[in-house]
Amino acid sequence: MQFFGYPRPDGGVGARNYVAIIPSVGCVNNLCTHLERLIRGTKAIRHDQGCLHPPADTVQVTRTLINLGRNPNVGGALVVGLGCEMAKAEEIYEGIKASGKPVDMVVVHKIGGMIDTLAAASRILVDMVGQVSAVQREPFGLDKLVFGTKCGSSDTTSGLSSNLVAGEVCRLMTANGGRFIQGEICDIMGGEYALKKLCVDPEQGEKLVDCVRDLYMRGYHVGADTRGCQMTAGNVAGGLTTLVEKALGANAKGGNQPIQATLDYGQLLPEKPGRYIMNFPGHGFENLTGSAAGGAIVHLFTTGRGAPNGHPIMPTVKLCGNAKTMRTMREHIDLDVSSVIEETESIEAAGERLYRFAVDVANGKLTKCEILNFEGMEILINGPVM
Amino acid sequence: MSKFAKQIHESDNVVTAVNECLAGDRVTVKFKGQAVEYVCLRDIPFGHKFAIRDIPAGGAVVKYGEVIGSATADIAVGEWVHTHNVRDDYKCLGKDGAPLPGQEEDKACPSRGGGS
Repeated sequence: MQFFGYPRPDGGVGARNYVAIIPSVGCVNNLCTHLERLIRGTKAIRHDQGCLHPPADTVQVTRTLINLGRNPNVGGALVVGLGCEMAKAEEIYEGIKASGKPVDMVVVHKIGGMIDTLAAASRILVDMVGQVSAVQREPFGLDKLVFGTKCGSSDTTSGLSSNLVAGEVCRLMTANGGRFIQGEICDIMGGEYALKKLCVDPEQGEKLVDCVRDLYMRGYHVGADTRGCQMTAGNVAGGLTTLVEKALGANAKGGNQPIQATLDYGQLLPEKPGRYIMNFPGHGFENLTGSAAGGAIVHLFTTGRGAPNGHPIMPTVKLCGNAKTMRTMREHIDLDVSSVIEETESIEAAGERLYRFAVDVANGKLTKCEILNFEGMEILINGPVM
Repeated sequence: MSKFAKQIHESDNVVTAVNECLAGDRVTVKFKGQAVEYVCLRDIPFGHKFAIRDIPAGGAVVKYGEVIGSATADIAVGEWVHTHNVRDDYKCLGKDGAPLPGQEEDKACPSRGGGS
């Protein structure tokens, strides 16, 4: 099987062909929104970060914005800076430029105000969209696919159907040489030692457990027991008994596939095929952004009660094993896997079906999130905000 | 109507009901081409677990092929398995293997309402 994607100068292959408008700081979000409305083929990657961070967060925000610009779904990028922020527009511009794709930059303080910057940026974007839209889809092997995964608005069907189906795709797509990103450290808590056993490099396994320890201690410092915050009353009413049980159900999205490495938030995936863990949270906005910065071109999002979230540059496939949700939230769900709960389809067969669907999405089929324009994003920071 | 429960791993000693099951119901578990029938000893709500092997008090409760907690009472085949007879033993451990601070007693947070 092949898929048809957009070739990029650095060897990546995109499922979409956007020109990204990337603010270095949240202060210029409005300007980016105006540009997105004015110029067809663009996507504004609005976020509220980029300033008044401790240095480690500035590094994390900068790295994430560069890698979002390098995501293969982005054919070209315009970086929009204010001029006084901590996350430097020049650094983001240079980072994206290194990938060889078209990139430009405007800085509001240098041009002087929103209206003149809007005019200058619009002219740049008109040319860039003309150039990027000329890129044609070409056939590629399935080894070029990079998928991310997460679960959201989960229920008891998630750990029994949709998560296992996503795990089957992890097995199939990594066997074909693809790469798969998983994270949600809050959900891994309780199942970290089961995942550590799957790490091919013990040091990377220890790094994975360190991510859980770090999350626990950050909760401790604000007076919370993160174990209890993760296990909700609804979870218990739904039949989940322990945190470990919940974690194992969430971890199942990667099946039993070996784990190649544990990555920092927003870090670009290594070239080696296989399954990766990224230090991203469960919260959808930061989570999807981490996955996209890692290089995922399609995201597999399992849900029980029906989470509507999507991301500006990364199509998000919703799959659900709850037959009732399939009736009530139909317009948000791409793939019905309630057949697994009803014993009319095996996990293997449903996994094959999801894999084919995700390849169709990589080929250009729009997901429900895209059709409904349901998108949002944020970048993870660890704080404190100054 | 047939009622079903799902087994995920061959070493699991609990399965999850995917129908509302009543005490005395015969429930089918299909796993690796085999179908085995169990009788529920009490009502098992949708999404809740029952034992498919006897689990002695203190014994491991196994799902996904991993230990998810320990039994606080003897649990017979067909018995409902939940927070009333299973203890959550998980503690977040430091590099030295000792529990990190703040886990001396369980401090459950109020439900977040949503959740992942």
